[in-house]
Amino acid sequence: MSFDLWTLGFQAVNVLVLVWLLHRFFWKPVAAMIAERQARSATLLNEAEATRAEADAALADLEATRAAIAVERDALLAAARKEAEATGAALIDAARAEAAALHDTAKAARVRAAAALKDAALEDAQDLAVTIARRLAARLDGAAIDAAFLGWLVQGLTDLSAADRKALSADSLEVISATPQDAAAQERIAAALSAALGTPATPSFRTDPALIAGHELHSPHFTLRNSWAADLDRIAAALKAADPEQKAGVTSDAA
Amino acid sequence: MDSPLQSVPLFMAGPVPIMPAVVTTWAIMAVLVLAAVLLTRRLTLVPSPTQAAAELLVGAVDQQIRDVTGAPPAPFRAFIGTLFLFILIANWSSLIPGVTPPTATMETPAALAALVFLSIIFFGVREGGVGGFLRGFALPNPVMIPLNMLESITRSFSMFVRLFGNVMSGVFVIAIVGSLAALLVPIPLMALDLLTGAVQAYIFAVLSMVFITSAVEKGDPQPKEP
Repeated sequence: MSFDLWTLGFQAVNVLVLVWLLHRFFWKPVAAMIAERQARSATLLNEAEATRAEADAALADLEATRAAIAVERDALLAAARKEAEATGAALIDAARAEAAALHDTAKAARVRAAAALKDAALEDAQDLAVTIARRLAARLDGAAIDAAFLGWLVQGLTDLSAADRKALSADSLEVISATPQDAAAQERIAAALSAALGTPATPSFRTDPALIAGHELHSPHFTLRNSWAADLDRIAAALKAADPEQKAGVTSDAA
Repeated sequence: MDSPLQSVPLFMAGPVPIMPAVVTTWAIMAVLVLAAVLLTRRLTLVPSPTQAAAELLVGAVDQQIRDVTGAPPAPFRAFIGTLFLFILIANWSSLIPGVTPPTATMETPAALAALVFLSIIFFGVREGGVGGFLRGFALPNPVMIPLNMLESITRSFSMFVRLFGNVMSGVFVIAIVGSLAALLVPIPLMALDLLTGAVQAYIFAVLSMVFITSAVEKGDPQPKEP
C-alpha cells in the first residue's frame, strides 16, 4: 500500500482546474442560456399578459360601447315611435279634417245641385205652365179673356189710393197686351182706364205675346201687371218661397 | 495482478512521479473540456438535442442543489456539478480496456475529499465570516467543539473511503473474475460497476452539497427560500 502525495496534489489541482474550465466553458454558458430563455419566456408571458389585459380592456370598452349603442338605439326607437305616433295622430286628424271638409263640400255641392235641379225643374214647370196656359188661351174666346183681364185691370186701379191714381194719371201710360188690339178695343180700354182714374186717359198700345193673355199698364213710375205671365210668375215665386224641402236643406247645411 | 492499493509511476518528470491516474485524469479533463466547448459553441434559444441534453444536466444539478440547500444554485453549481461529472466519467472509464479508473487509487478520492473539506471551509467562511464559521463548531453547545471538529474531518474521510472502496472493489472483483474467465463472464459485473459508479458519483456530490450547506447554515443561519 502506497500513498503518493505528489499524485494527491496533482489530482487536487487537476480537479480545481477542471472545475474552473467547466465553469468557464459549460456551466456558465448553459446556465446563462437557460436564464435567457426563462427571461424571454417571462417577457413573452408578460407581453402576452399585457396583450390579454389590453384585449380585456378593449373587450370591456366594446361591451360598454355596445351597451351604450343599445341604450341609444332604445332611446332612438322610443323617440321614433313617439314621433311616428304624433305624426300618425296628426295625419289622422288632418285626414279626418280633410274628410270632414270634403264631406261638407260634397254636401254643399249636393245641396247646390239639388237646388239647381229644383230651380231647373221649377223653370221647366213654369215653361210647361206657360205653354199649357198659352194653348188654353188659344182655345178660349179671346174677347172674353180680354174683357175679364180688362175688368181685373180696372179693379186693380180702383184698389189704388186716390193719390196714387192721381199721380198715375199725370204720367204717360202704356198698355201692353198679349194680343194685338184693334181700334175699338183700344177705345174700350182707354175708356175703362179713364173711368178708373177719374181723368181722361190716352194710353199708347203695344203687343207682347209673352204675356200669354191679359193687359198690363206701365208708366215711367208704375207698373200694374195683369196677365197670365204675371200670374205664373207670382205662383212660381210663391212656390219657391213656400218650398219646405229647400228651406230644410238650407237649414241643415247651415247647421 | 498488481494490488490496487499499490501505485506504480507511469513515468518520472524529474523527481515527480506521474502516476497512471494523473494521466487518465488529464485525458478525462481533455474529453470533458472538449465536449463542453463543442456543446456550448452554438447555443441557441431553440435548443438542439445535444444542447437540450446539456441543459437537462445543468437543470438537474441546479434542482438538486436547490432541493438540498434551498438557496440559489449558482455559487455551488460549478463545484458540485464538476465533482459529479468527473467522478462519473472517472468511474466509467474502467470500461475502457487497460484503463484503471483514477478513483480506484487512493490519491484521487483523497484529493476529492480534501477539496470538499476545503470547500466546506471556503463556503462557510464566505457566508458567515471566520467567526461565524468557527462559531458553528460550538453548536449546539461548546462541549461539542472537539466532536464537531473531529466530525468535519471524519466525514470527509468517510467520503474518501466510501468512493475509493466502492470503485476499487469493483475493479478488483472484475479483475479477479476476468483472470478466471475472461470472456463474457465479467460483463454483468461491469454493468453493475456502471451502476455503482453512477451511484457513487451521485452520493459524493450530494454529500458534498449537504456538508457545505451545513457549514453555511451554521455560519449564517437563514431561513431557506420556499
